Amino acid sequence: MMRELSLTRRGLGMADLPRPDLVTLAQGGDVQAIGALYDQHHQALFRYIWARVGERQTAEELTGDVFMRMLAALPRYRPSVVPFRAWLFRIAHNLLVDHYRKESGRVALSLQSAEGVSDEGNPAFLVEQKLTVERVHQALAVVDEPQRSVIALRFLSGLSLEETAAVLDKSESAVKALQHRGLATMRRALAHEKVPS
Amino acid sequence: MNDPFDSLQERLTHLEAGEPLETVCADLPEAEAGLLQMAGALRAVPAPERSLNTISTQRMELIRAAKSFKALNTLPKTDEVRRLGQPARAQSWWPLALAGGVAAMFACVLVVAALASAIWLWRSSPQPSVAQPHSPAATVVAQASPATVALAAPDPQHAILAEARGLVEIQSSDGAWAAADAGQTLAAGQKVRTGALSGVTLAFYDGSLARLGPNAEISVDSLDAQKTGSRVILLTQWSGDSKHDVAHSDDAASRYEVATPSGVGSAKGTSFRVSVTVLLVRFDVDEGVVAVTHLNVTVIVVAGQTTIVPPGEAPEEPVFHISGEGEVTAIGGIWRIGGQTFLTDSSTVVVGDPQVGDWVAVEGRILSDGTRFADRITLLHHSTENQFSFTGTVEVISDTQWTIAGRVVRVDEFTEIEKGIEEGVQVEVRGGIAKDGTWWASSIELTAANGFEFTGVVQSIISDTWTISGISVTVNVSTTIEAGIVVSDVVHVEGEILDDGTWLATSIQKTEENTFDFTGVVISMKPWIVDGVPISVTEQTTIDEGIDIGNRVRVMGQVLADGTWLAESITQLDEGKRHHVEFTAKVEHIDPWIVGGVTVSVTEQTKIDNGIKVGDLVTVKGNLLPDGTVVAKKIRLANPTQGCVETSVVVQTINADQIVLLNGQTIPLDGKAKVKGKVNVASVVIVLACADADGNITVVSITVVYQLDALPPPPAQDNGGQDKDKDKNKHQDCKEGPGRGEGHCNEDDDDDD
Repeated sequence: MMRELSLTRRGLGMADLPRPDLVTLAQGGDVQAIGALYDQHHQALFRYIWARVGERQTAEELTGDVFMRMLAALPRYRPSVVPFRAWLFRIAHNLLVDHYRKESGRVALSLQSAEGVSDEGNPAFLVEQKLTVERVHQALAVVDEPQRSVIALRFLSGLSLEETAAVLDKSESAVKALQHRGLATMRRALAHEKVPS
Repeated sequence: MNDPFDSLQERLTHLEAGEPLETVCADLPEAEAGLLQMAGALRAVPAPERSLNTISTQRMELIRAAKSFKALNTLPKTDEVRRLGQPARAQSWWPLALAGGVAAMFACVLVVAALASAIWLWRSSPQPSVAQPHSPAATVVAQASPATVALAAPDPQHAILAEARGLVEIQSSDGAWAAADAGQTLAAGQKVRTGALSGVTLAFYDGSLARLGPNAEISVDSLDAQKTGSRVILLTQWSGDSKHDVAHSDDAASRYEVATPSGVGSAKGTSFRVSVTVLLVRFDVDEGVVAVTHLNVTVIVVAGQTTIVPPGEAPEEPVFHISGEGEVTAIGGIWRIGGQTFLTDSSTVVVGDPQVGDWVAVEGRILSDGTRFADRITLLHHSTENQFSFTGTVEVISDTQWTIAGRVVRVDEFTEIEKGIEEGVQVEVRGGIAKDGTWWASSIELTAANGFEFTGVVQSIISDTWTISGISVTVNVSTTIEAGIVVSDVVHVEGEILDDGTWLATSIQKTEENTFDFTGVVISMKPWIVDGVPISVTEQTTIDEGIDIGNRVRVMGQVLADGTWLAESITQLDEGKRHHVEFTAKVEHIDPWIVGGVTVSVTEQTKIDNGIKVGDLVTVKGNLLPDGTVVAKKIRLANPTQGCVETSVVVQTINADQIVLLNGQTIPLDGKAKVKGKVNVASVVIVLACADADGNITVVSITVVYQLDALPPPPAQDNGGQDKDKDKNKHQDCKEGPGRGEGHCNEDDDDDD
C-alpha cells in the first residue's frame, strides 16, 4: 500500500508531491510511511539546521531529534491547519530555539556589522565567486534572528514563501520584508568583506 | 508593483520556476539585481554531505522507535524523545570468510601494536559524541544493514559494539553466549563472536577500532583505553579475521595487544589485519609498522607486507602482499587472475568454486623468488558470457520449446520449470545462448509481483517471527521450513512482500548459497534503500537508467560474508519494462548487429560503446518486441578489463625517466601512471596494474606507503631461514616472558638467543 503512495511522478521533486495520505499512514503508525517521511525531508532539514548552527555534527544530531519530535507530535498534527513540511520545519525551528537557549550567546560575529556598509565599486562580487560555507555563516551572523530564519528557510532549504510564513507564524508580507532586508544585509556584509577598508 | 518587497518576491518566484538569473535580473536596477544574485548564490551553497551511516542509522532508529511505540499502541511523549544514532564510518573493506575455527589451543601469540604513526581516521570525520548520562543506551536496529551507534565507548574500561551485522554474541560470566546488539559494551574478561554473514566493530574509548569479520571470536583480556597517558588494550583473537585501526598515542608505554592461539609473537603497528585459521595466523600491515614475534624470533612487518605464523613455528620472513580482483583466465596449480599468474597450493582457500571466466578477488603474497602466491581466492560473480534473462508472457508451451514474449526458447530435462505455469502468465526466463544462437532455458519461473529470496543468518526464532540477517520474516502454516534449523544457521528464504510491508516466507531452507533477489520500491538512492533494505552498489552494479525514488525495482546480488547486500543489478520493473531483455555474448557482426547468434536491432537511441569490434564480449540490454525481435537500448563492452591487481614492492632506483622496482619491473615516468607520494630509493610502494580485455597490463598508479631506511638485502637463499635474523630492518631479538607483556625486544641487537 505504501509503495503506490510513494510513487514519484517524473519531473516533479519529492517536495512538490502532495502526500497527505503518507502522513495519514504515518499518523496511523505505518512505520514505512514514517521512514518515507524521513527520506523525503531529512536533507532539507539538515541543510536548514546546519545553516543555523554552523556545525555539521550538531546539525546531524538535531536533524535526528526533529524526527523523534515529529514522532511524538504526529498524533496532534492536523493537515488542515498547516502543510506537513511547514509543520516539520516548525518543529525544527522550535528545536533550534531550545538549542540556542541552552547554548545562549554562542553565535559569533566574524564580520563587522554590515549596517551602513556600501557595496559600491563591487557590484558583481556574487557573480564572480561562489559563496563558501564559511562566508555564508559569517554573513548570516550579521543579520538579525528573524531575517536569518527567513533566509535559511527560503534560500538554503527551499521553502516557499507560504511555507516559511507558516513555519515562523508570520504573515507573508512580513516574510517578504524580512527576506528583502536579510538579503540586502548579507550582500552588504559580503561586499564589505571583499573590499578592504 | 512599486513595493520593493513584492517586487523581489515576484522575481524570486520566476527564479524558483527555473528562469535564468540573467533573464530575471534583466532591466532591474543594480541593487535589486544584487539581491537576486544573493538569493541564487545562497541556493547554490553546498551543504556538507550527510554521513550515509548517520542517515541509515537515524532512519532505522526512527522506524524502530515507531515500531516500539506502535507495539505499545501509543506514540511517544515528548520527554521520551531521544537522540538518534551518530555517524559511523562506512566500510567496504571487509574480507570474506575464512572457514573453520581453531580446534586446539596453542600457546598464545602476543601481538603488541604500539603506535608509531597511526592515522586517526576518526579525526577526519565528525567526532563521535559520548552518550550523555541521561540518554538511554543506543538501541538495536533490526534491519539488514549494520546497526550503528556512536563510535566511542562510554569509558576507558569498556569497548562498545559500534556496528553489528548479522549474528553477534557476547559471552557472559557464566560462559553462556547471548545475542548482542550495537550499543552494548564489553569489559575485560568478556568475549564477543560473530556468526556467518556477520560482523561487528569494537570501538574503544581512545578511538581505536577492532573490526571482526564473520565466524570470528575475540576476547578482551585487559582494557584501560585512556585517551591521554598510558593506554592498554589487550585482546585475544581465537578465530576469523579482524582489522585493527589503532589510535595514536604519544605515551611510549601504551599498548595495543592482540593475542592469537598459534605461537607467540609481538607487533608494533597502526593499521593491520589478523587472520586466524587452523592452518596459520597471518598478519597484514596496511599502515605503519608491526612486529610479530614467536619462538624468540621477531619479524618487523611494514606497510604493504605480510607474515605468516604457522602453529608452533617462527614467523616467516615478511613478504609483500598482493591483492586485487579480476577475471579468471586459467585455473589449477597456477591461476591467472586479472592478467597475472598466481601459484596456489593446498593452503590456498578458495571460496565459491570459481571457474574460468568468473570474476574473483584474490589475496596473496610475493614470495622471495618473486612468485605470486594466492592465499585466498573468492568468487565475486560468475561469468555472464552467453547468459540471458528476460521476462514476458508465455504464449506457447510445448515439450521442446516455449514461446515467451515472442521469443522461442528451447527447454529440456535440465530446464527447471516452476509448477503452475501456463500460457498467458508472466514468467522470468534465464538460460544460455548456444553457438548456433539457440536460447536454451535453464529456468522458467513465475514472476511474483512482490517476491523475494535471500540468504541470511538466523538471528532469532520467536513464534512466527524469524529475524534473518536483520530482516524480520513472518512464517505461517503454509511456510515450508526445513527441519532442524537453529539460530546461527545460514538459510535461504523465499516469499512475498505483502502490501503492509510484511516479508512473508513461503520457504526457509538451509543453504550454501549467498544470493538475494527481491522486488520493492526505491526509498532512497543515496544510499540505496529498497523497501527498507539497505543495498550496497559498486561500479560493477548494473543499474537501469532513469530509476527514481518511488519506482518499483528488482534487486539481485550477493550477500557478502559480513552480511552486506551487494547488488549486481537493479532493474526497473514499472510498466513498459516487463519485456526487458539482457544478455551477454560475443559480437559476430556489426551492421547488422549479431551478438551471440542473435540479431539485434539498433536505433538512433541505442547507446553503443565506442570501439566495439567483432569478437568483443558485450552486454546487450533492450526490449523484446512482440515478434521476438531484440531492440537494443544499450550495447556495452562486458569486460573492458580483465581486472586490477595491487602489488606491494620496494623501489630500487629512480630517476627522471623511470622507476625500477626490486622485483625487476621498470615503470616509465611518462605520466601514464599516477604517482602518489614522494618516491625514493627504498620506498615501499603499492603498484596498481590493470589488464585490458586482451590481457595487456598497464600500471595505473604508484602509491608510497612506507619508507625503509635502506634497500633490503637480496632474497635469502634456501638455508632453512637462518638468514632471517640478520636483517636489522626486519628483525629484533626478543626475550620472551612467561606471559603477555613480560618479554622485551631489543631493536639494536641482531643476535638470536
